[in-house]
Amino acid sequence: MAEEPEEPTLPRLPLSVPFSDTRKRLRSMEAPPPSTSSDPAVFSSDDDPALDNYQAHGRRKRRYVGTWFDQQPASSDSALGDETGPNYPPPRRNRATPKPKKREFRRQLDSGVWMGTDGAMTDTDDSVDLEPPTARLSLLPPHDPAPLPLSPARPRFPDEEQAAINMIRRCVDNGIEDVDLSGLRLHCLSRGILEPLSHIAPIPNVTKDVAFEQKDAEIKVFLSTNLLRTFPLDLLNVEHLTVLSLRHNRLTRIPPGIGKLKNLQTLNVAQNSLRFFPSELLALLRKGGKLSSFQFQPNPFWTPVAVPPDNRGAEDYETRTFNPGPTPAVASRWIGLTTRLQARTPVELTDSAHTSYTRFVLPQTTNPAFAARRAPPLELEPFRQLATPRGLHHVLADAASKVAQPRGAKSLFELAVRACVRSGQADWIAAELRRDGEVGEGEGCWSAHLAEAVDRAADIQRQGGLECAVCGRETSMPLARWVEFRQVGQLDVLVGPEGVEDSRFMGLGGVSEGAVPFMMVGCSWRCVPVAADGVDGGGSG
Amino acid sequence: MADACKYITLVSSDGYEFVVLRDAALVSPTIKGMLRSQFTEAQTGRCTFPEFSGVVLEKVAEYFHYWHRNRDREDVPDMEIPVELCLVLVQAADYFNLDARPSLRDPA
Ligand SMILES: [Zn+2]
Repeated sequence: MAEEPEEPTLPRLPLSVPFSDTRKRLRSMEAPPPSTSSDPAVFSSDDDPALDNYQAHGRRKRRYVGTWFDQQPASSDSALGDETGPNYPPPRRNRATPKPKKREFRRQLDSGVWMGTDGAMTDTDDSVDLEPPTARLSLLPPHDPAPLPLSPARPRFPDEEQAAINMIRRCVDNGIEDVDLSGLRLHCLSRGILEPLSHIAPIPNVTKDVAFEQKDAEIKVFLSTNLLRTFPLDLLNVEHLTVLSLRHNRLTRIPPGIGKLKNLQTLNVAQNSLRFFPSELLALLRKGGKLSSFQFQPNPFWTPVAVPPDNRGAEDYETRTFNPGPTPAVASRWIGLTTRLQARTPVELTDSAHTSYTRFVLPQTTNPAFAARRAPPLELEPFRQLATPRGLHHVLADAASKVAQPRGAKSLFELAVRACVRSGQADWIAAELRRDGEVGEGEGCWSAHLAEAVDRAADIQRQGGLECAVCGRETSMPLARWVEFRQVGQLDVLVGPEGVEDSRFMGLGGVSEGAVPFMMVGCSWRCVPVAADGVDGGGSG
Repeated sequence: MADACKYITLVSSDGYEFVVLRDAALVSPTIKGMLRSQFTEAQTGRCTFPEFSGVVLEKVAEYFHYWHRNRDREDVPDMEIPVELCLVLVQAADYFNLDARPSLRDPA
């Protein structure tokens, strides 16, 4: 390997390769264009009674876009004004440039919405042939986050959400940091509604002779006693959120992005339908963190089997698996919330199609129907053991396999799926893949697992992204999962005379006493628990 | 692999040819299978893919080199995938087995 072989240069493809070629199906099927298209109808000048269209010497038929009563010439000849078209209204043009680009964003005068128009339908296009519908993807306008719904001109929200919108506007306008949205019977909060919360700025107290001091906002959001089924993801972008109450809702998941809310001091998620917490929440439950009040019971959390196995070696497992850096030093005293590891489950290993390769399988988490069922107690594995199923060792030895190799480039599959999600059209793409699968002869759901992978990656992105708990790499396709049961409690750190820290951990009392599950996620089959010292782990070195 | 030829040629449905490093292309178990056997591809070093057009195959070939170049690196930036290609590349990645799925058969 001393000499790196020269990479040959790839031949450049001519730029004129049409997009239609890119979607050559693996099966010879061509779906009819969807009848639900909102594109205006296209018809040719055959329909037009003005027969003098035809007498021109060999010139192309004209194409018209839209309704017959709103006709406008669609082909280039008349658009360029080189002919005196019979009785047509002049083509609508935005610019007077003689040679505009083939594709452009053109204003639809009637709708007031800017849309990218298909090249075949601009009034300046030379080509007559309609591109096949498969080329639509590149032509859709970029997906924008939902337009800010605060405009009173569009009262399309149900009353509950409208009440929330009004309340938020009042808080933003008056610099009120306590946003009380509790008891509004909210079923959901559409994306964008909570977005203005980031702009709340307290009105500073200006006193004479006192220097003006810029203070960070301390935004407190109360969403308790509503009917929310999903965590409002807009909240993840409210940097100065200090208090968040979602008590008494119907949440089933807390997004991993919660770890970004470093200024959170109080978090209440009691009385929901939570089964587990994301491991990212642990970032807020660390020495030096700001979270000092955390209510999370009751919730139907997963529970461990009654009898814990030999659970020596917890610290060693944590050190070897996660390689945590040194904990931040404390000035003189620090009191706050942390967790203490009590047990962990075995690891579930999956592939990019989400097929499981281990005997141990975690309960369903995404499918609401399954997730609603009460899960049986989860099996535990001693910290000093690690069950990599026999027969999978050779997989870990295969350096080219993305299953075993978190280093290097991501798989093309993951890259392509990420590109799908980034395009903002993941739902459309997943539907296309499913349709391909249905039409495919014999094999049934040939593409179903592809569509599911796109769905899962889109879900991960909606939850604010996912990082491998072990190596920290960002992943759209976690391949390993396990659960840690941790007790939440208060850590009291006192720095003694010689700078020696003396710390005491006290588990929370009452209903919050037991250990709660945290979902750990690994990006490859190497990003899994490492066995604590003492016993052979069975994992290959 | 009898011939120690360093390069192989990928041919698209519309006749475009892409010369790629054999070592890089072998990341695809699909191509590995084609080249290992007694199939003609093994002798000629030419693999034809009537399933994919040149635009798609070009991106796949680009991926092979991208993967090879970065195989021991950390923090590799995502290869650029234009939006109009992302759907068909999901299918292509599946076809070339360029995903994270273990082959449970013994590696040869
Ligand atoms: Zn990892």
